[in-house]
Amino acid sequence: MVSMIQNELFDSLRLELRRGCLILAVLAQLRVEHYGYTLRKALADQGLAIEESTLYPLLRRLETQGLLTSEWREEEKRNKRFYRLSAEGAAILEQLLAEWNGINDSLHKILEDKKDKKDKEDKEDKKETKER
Amino acid sequence: MDLLERYLQAVGEYLPARTKADTLAELRENLLAEMEGREEKLGRSLTQSEVADVLEKHGRPVLVAARYLPQQHLIGPAWFPIYWFTLKRSFPFVVLVYLVTQVAAWLFQGGKGLDVGAAIGHFPSVVLTFWAVVTLGFACFEYAQGRYFHQVDISKGWNPNDLPKLEPARSKRPSLAGGVADVIVSSIGMLWLLAIPYKPYLILGPLVGHLREMPFGLTPEWHIFYWQIISLLGVQLVLKTVMVFLHGAEGWRKGFDMVVQVIGILIIAVMVQARTYMVPGTSVGAMSMKDLTTVNAAINFGFKVALVLSVLKLLWDVWKMIVSSRAEQKSFVTVL
Repeated sequence: MVSMIQNELFDSLRLELRRGCLILAVLAQLRVEHYGYTLRKALADQGLAIEESTLYPLLRRLETQGLLTSEWREEEKRNKRFYRLSAEGAAILEQLLAEWNGINDSLHKILEDKKDKKDKEDKEDKKETKER
Repeated sequence: MDLLERYLQAVGEYLPARTKADTLAELRENLLAEMEGREEKLGRSLTQSEVADVLEKHGRPVLVAARYLPQQHLIGPAWFPIYWFTLKRSFPFVVLVYLVTQVAAWLFQGGKGLDVGAAIGHFPSVVLTFWAVVTLGFACFEYAQGRYFHQVDISKGWNPNDLPKLEPARSKRPSLAGGVADVIVSSIGMLWLLAIPYKPYLILGPLVGHLREMPFGLTPEWHIFYWQIISLLGVQLVLKTVMVFLHGAEGWRKGFDMVVQVIGILIIAVMVQARTYMVPGTSVGAMSMKDLTTVNAAINFGFKVALVLSVLKLLWDVWKMIVSSRAEQKSFVTVL
């Protein structure tokens, strides 16, 4: 029961963590033009799988917000909607990447500090044991 | 591809007409590309069940369509706490206003024809209407802001200096002094009740003289009611005394309180059923008989009100107990 609750909690926190990252990944990937399916494949190939039902509406939303531009174009005898990062999107992406890197650095520092402290404590413990 | 078209038709059912064709065209292309990708991997055409599998993974039509809609909530996370606070704070006023209007209506009808059962039965629809109106108001506000006027940012424009003064921390567990005071006050109340049959002026004061001249007398029901109340208060007093000396028995205290409340409700319910509380004396005229009917109706109404309040109080306590036990369970799980 407790494990089930923990799993649900993990899923919900994971979803929350991924939500912002996915937007960043989509914007970054769309520096090169893609249509829905190829974008999803490109992201999946780089280890970031996104469900279709999440990705396609997200593209629409980002376009409505002016971060992407799109156009219908024929490719392989079929009409496809191609998305690309807009000028506004590119500016926002730069800001978001700076923010992301800042968070990432801080997180690494926090984790490194904890690790250093733990290593130090372990060393002291070993030293005490030897002395005895 | 019949299945794909059926799927797109089902998604289209929930999409707005303005964007429907465009959204479905894009979705068709993406799904076809997805299927072609699979076919390439397998080196053959997809079977009907494999197509169904792709569509199933893509999601239930209504949910897929919902993700393309601009607003997914009636009241967003920014305003939901205010909405919830409004509902919670307003509810006691709804109860009060309803009670006052019911009593006022009864009085305007000359004190006759009050149907407590109907009044209670009608209350849920009043609460539902209140909830619907508040929800609709907030939903309209949520929809309109950003579309017809600028978004209202409630996170700014407040001053910490306006916060209420610090209150002393409320202890969940009653203190020993509080418990002892409770027992003393209850004992005095018990003694007072026990003295009433011998010294009626303790409850009626100067009206005792008038009561003796009245052409009405009390029914035996009052005698039974009196001793039932005395017994109940006696049991309660014993329990309160025991609880003062027992530490860590909060769960038991709550349980005992509930039992006492239930017994109290039963006693009042018996009195509601009695209907006749005063009987005519030896010399009663036609006018006095009419007065007697009114007095009996008034007393009966009083008992009905007491019954309703007692039941509401019990339900409230039960609900609080359930909520607190759930909170305890949650905190236990978190600790684990």
